[in-house]
Amino acid sequence: MSETMTRYERLLAAWELREADRVPVAPINCYIIPYLEGLSIREMFLEPEKLARATASCLDICGDEVDPNITTLDHLSLFGKSGWDQATLDWRIWDDFPPKGNIPSFYEKTILEDYDDVMNRGFSTILFNRRIFKDVFRRSLSDFLYYEFEYPKIYSDVWRKFVEAYEIPLLMGGRACHPLDLLQYYRGINQLTEDIFERPEKVHEISELMIEYESVRAMEQAMIMGAGEVPGAEIIFFVNGGPPGMSPRIFDEFFWPYAKRAIDNFVKRGFRVRCHWDNDLTPHLKTMKHITDGLPKGKILLDLEKTDMKKAKEILGDRVCLLGNVPSAMLVYGTPEDVEKHCRKLIEDCAEGGGFVLSTECETPWDSKRENVRAIVEAAEKYGAY
Amino acid sequence: MGKLSDSIFALNKELVLDAVREGLNAGRDALDLIEECRAGLQKVGDEFERGNMFLMELLRSAQIFKEAAKLIAPKTKEKCQGKLVKGRVLLGTVSGDVHDLGKGIVSTLLECAGFEIIDLGVDVSQNDFVEGIRNHGPQVVGMSGLLTTSIPVMGKTVQAIEEAGLREKVKVIAGGGVVGEVDASKIKADFTTSNANEGIRVIERWLAERA
Repeated sequence: MSETMTRYERLLAAWELREADRVPVAPINCYIIPYLEGLSIREMFLEPEKLARATASCLDICGDEVDPNITTLDHLSLFGKSGWDQATLDWRIWDDFPPKGNIPSFYEKTILEDYDDVMNRGFSTILFNRRIFKDVFRRSLSDFLYYEFEYPKIYSDVWRKFVEAYEIPLLMGGRACHPLDLLQYYRGINQLTEDIFERPEKVHEISELMIEYESVRAMEQAMIMGAGEVPGAEIIFFVNGGPPGMSPRIFDEFFWPYAKRAIDNFVKRGFRVRCHWDNDLTPHLKTMKHITDGLPKGKILLDLEKTDMKKAKEILGDRVCLLGNVPSAMLVYGTPEDVEKHCRKLIEDCAEGGGFVLSTECETPWDSKRENVRAIVEAAEKYGAY
Repeated sequence: MGKLSDSIFALNKELVLDAVREGLNAGRDALDLIEECRAGLQKVGDEFERGNMFLMELLRSAQIFKEAAKLIAPKTKEKCQGKLVKGRVLLGTVSGDVHDLGKGIVSTLLECAGFEIIDLGVDVSQNDFVEGIRNHGPQVVGMSGLLTTSIPVMGKTVQAIEEAGLREKVKVIAGGGVVGEVDASKIKADFTTSNANEGIRVIERWLAERA
């Protein structure tokens, strides 16, 4: 098929619920690229030129946008930018890729012991908590300060040049986490569940604090990455990885108000918002219909993991762009034929009228077969013409 | 259902604990109280399976059950001295994976269902699983993992159990985010699932078949 739009134009059309020349495609390739190109986690995190070069070598599996791995900036910075990164990750990871090393993984443990203490003294109570993995403290203060204030500029410069050279937009410029995402890792799912039932006022109180904090940090990050100048840097990647299995009451009371407030804040300040929301949110689609209330068209994308995409299209398709959701297990253990079949179905279910980006569920597992990820890109080219 | 199981189903901890205290004060049989609590828990599980209740509610019902069980425990210990245990399950997140969330939920639910849990923690080596079986003699081994990379490790863990000559002694279940999408035969397990409640049911069935 002949492609008549640039990648950025194609993606913008989808965000604005217009049909492009074809369905845009954009697997969320985070750790797989350094893995395929033989980088260590350390190189991936600390040498952005190498990461950008590796990404350039993997454009065949990237489709219409690339992941600048803003998450690495969050892992390195000091003051709790998307704070769970420092608080809960395994810091022993950096010299190798798996199986010798590991990608950052969450330790579920109760780090935040006292809501009132955090409310009174701020995030230092989390970040300098004795329960945090001790390797965090092996880094010097000057090291933290460098990665907080200097390194983001270096990092941004590398990606700005990359976008100019390859004419491919970034999938995000800044990153924020929903308070429940953070609380799941600070408190653990068991304790958070108890909190929601037994001390809901504390969960609300800290959610108010966190949503403001996360929003401001994400917008600053996007500005450093070139929002307004670098295509895609104006996108805030708004994450919720947990907790799984919220009832409608819990979703409506503890998740939705803060999600909507953050989205409104971002959009009213000129950013676009990519809601990267894991788990199966199908029971909550009716509440999510209000996502665009009071906001201009074309500013929100829902990047869904296990949610039923066909139902999402039926309920939300007239108001937000949808992105998703080829299963991770299929990318690792399936065949290109499996992936093609799944993608074809997703396109049939979701692409009509525009407003759909074909992608992975959450991120592409690093151990996915390259030909399977490539099959996603090819499926958009094969079946996605409008 | 009685007041106690209704209150568990309603996720009302105060009512549950009040009903337990009342029951104990009135001299009700401790095992009856436990079973009535369990009936409430079962109803939550059934509604969860039907899609009418959600994981956090399932977890909450288990938390309330555990609180109730704490009040009842001294009486049950007097009475049956451990006979309540349906079986022993060895749990662990496999080597290379440190995710605890799913395993924690399963552990809580299993405990409430009347199983004894030996939790080996996270990043558990194949050898530690083997030693765990030798030392604790479980009927069931539960391997947990969130990452796609954990799936081959689960296969290696089962292989290590096989090589140690212990495979015939245990049923093996694997669970986690994407694990349920993988056929059990691929890792030589007896069952794979991403649904905690389904896992509990399967383990209960296995143990009932053995009895």
